[in-house]
Amino acid sequence: MRLRKENAVLKWTLIITCELFLALFLILPLVFILETAFAQGLAAYWNSITDQYAIKAALLTLKATLWAVGVNTLFGLSAAWCITKFAFRGKKIISTFIDLPVTVSPIIAGLIYVLTFGRQSFLFPLLDKYDIEIIFAAPGIILATIFVTFPFISRELIPVLTAQGFDEEEAAALMGARTWTIFRKVTLPHVKWALLYGVVLCTARAMGEFGAVSVLSGHLRGKTNTLPLYIELLYQGYDFTGAFAASSILVVLTIVVLVLRVWLEGRGNKDLDILK
Amino acid sequence: MSQADNEIRDAYVELRGVNKRFGDFYASKNVNISIPKGRLVGLLGSSGSGKTTILRMIAGLETPDSGEIIIDGRVVNDIPGSERGVGFVFQSYALFRYMTVYDNIAFGLRVKKVDAATIDKRVRELLKLINCEGLDERFPSQLSGGQRQRVAFARALAPNPQLLLLDEPFAAIDAKVRLELRTWLRNMITQLGITSIFVTHDQDEAIEVADEIIVTNQGQIEQTGTPRELYVNPKTPFVASFIGNTQPVANYDRFRYFDSLGAGTRAIIRPEFVAVFKKGENQRFVKSAEQGVVEDVIFRGSNLEIKTRIHDVVISSTRSINDSILEPGEPVDVFIYRLIVVDGDKIVVQNNKSLKEESVFI
Repeated sequence: MRLRKENAVLKWTLIITCELFLALFLILPLVFILETAFAQGLAAYWNSITDQYAIKAALLTLKATLWAVGVNTLFGLSAAWCITKFAFRGKKIISTFIDLPVTVSPIIAGLIYVLTFGRQSFLFPLLDKYDIEIIFAAPGIILATIFVTFPFISRELIPVLTAQGFDEEEAAALMGARTWTIFRKVTLPHVKWALLYGVVLCTARAMGEFGAVSVLSGHLRGKTNTLPLYIELLYQGYDFTGAFAASSILVVLTIVVLVLRVWLEGRGNKDLDILK
Repeated sequence: MSQADNEIRDAYVELRGVNKRFGDFYASKNVNISIPKGRLVGLLGSSGSGKTTILRMIAGLETPDSGEIIIDGRVVNDIPGSERGVGFVFQSYALFRYMTVYDNIAFGLRVKKVDAATIDKRVRELLKLINCEGLDERFPSQLSGGQRQRVAFARALAPNPQLLLLDEPFAAIDAKVRLELRTWLRNMITQLGITSIFVTHDQDEAIEVADEIIVTNQGQIEQTGTPRELYVNPKTPFVASFIGNTQPVANYDRFRYFDSLGAGTRAIIRPEFVAVFKKGENQRFVKSAEQGVVEDVIFRGSNLEIKTRIHDVVISSTRSINDSILEPGEPVDVFIYRLIVVDGDKIVVQNNKSLKEESVFI
């Protein structure tokens, strides 16, 4: 019976530790954000979030996120597909490089693009000639967002595709199914939940990206400010209501993503139960 | 199998001088096979012997480095697997997990754009054939191992292939169901008359199911023949030691009525070559029997395995559970009917000489 007692103590200690930790590091700041956002009343809050710059920042954030998710879904699927289904030289290198954005600091990611597309770059004359603006403009922000989020989808897909093996695809191919049919009917159903989960993670990360975007944006209000940059700007300007109101938009978006994630996990697990 | 035989046999599937390498590993070395139409053939070998590679090359899932693969008189090396008219049953079954049993079976026909009514008719027909009527809305994970295997079989048969290839069809099924399925599959294939090749590492399975067995070893074909031929008349040392329950014996001329065929030769003895008699029980071989002592008696369910020591060698044999009981330490008469003598690459089956002498006496 001593063992059981010890376990109960351990159990409750762990539970209380986790709860305290979450309360201190997550719930409290969230409450504080909302409290500060509404500190000067609903009207002030409403004014802050309907401020034209706030709306523009939110729209730019959504735009960058949509681009990043779209591009990374395509890239993630192709990368995961080629890494798991084919044997070729340089496979190890590709799969190592995919992880790079996770390990490299976002600031460096931003600087890489400044160096690649900026005035000192050998590409600049070409970009200038065709009037293409990348850095200090929306394309730069999109590029930076894509860069920091591109491992998320492929990293979700690779383990699933590896576990699945080739048999079902081979069976379908032997019966005369075309590559696209095989992908749609056999491969995609397997990776559906992993893919959606990757998309959710990618979205969350893309919306919150600050470092890389900050380097590339140039901080032009209403033009190249994303929500996180806009929040920082307001905060530096002592506009706490504005900063926290804008934060609350991000928080709401994040919560939506979080709920989606939980729902997806549930659906995915249910599918696994039936179709293990 | 000689060249002349090949031509007489009117092969449906033929491999001519096929080689296949994976890096440094030779999966197939100059493989020549010929399989007549309607035959049920087992490719038998231990793992890594190249049997699955042969099957996958016939299906078009692998490409040979050199040599020709011929199906129905057509060289199919450059024809994709989907146009070779083959049905393939994977070891893991590879059923489409996210499709129902019905959709699984219908897949091959839908891909070929067959009209829905014909598909429905064919699927119902196959469901009936595999005794899975009423399971059409289930997913593969909701089926038992045996049912999955039969659905995989039906799926492979749906597009009416001329050739059915099965990779270790019973490997993933538990022992009891496996025996039932073997019989079922054999009857089914015989009934349909479809030329079939299956891969197995289990010699009992090959012997029981196949009309003809091709024994593979280290990427090469060791011997082709009916199960009985392989059993009674092994052509290579590998086949002699691979088929049946074998035990090697050096200095086999120590047994009475067997002569040594020269230095360096060794013998292979199988339990069914040996009869063990309780003292006084033996009528026929009383004069020519060896004297042995029972070392161990092991209950094998349907029979007893008797380990007997003769001249410092322990030899296994079987005995019916209905026979009188032998105890360890008991002296017994042992009669050895025959030995398989391995002389380098050659195989000689040597019969007990006293059999001839006795038959002269009788």
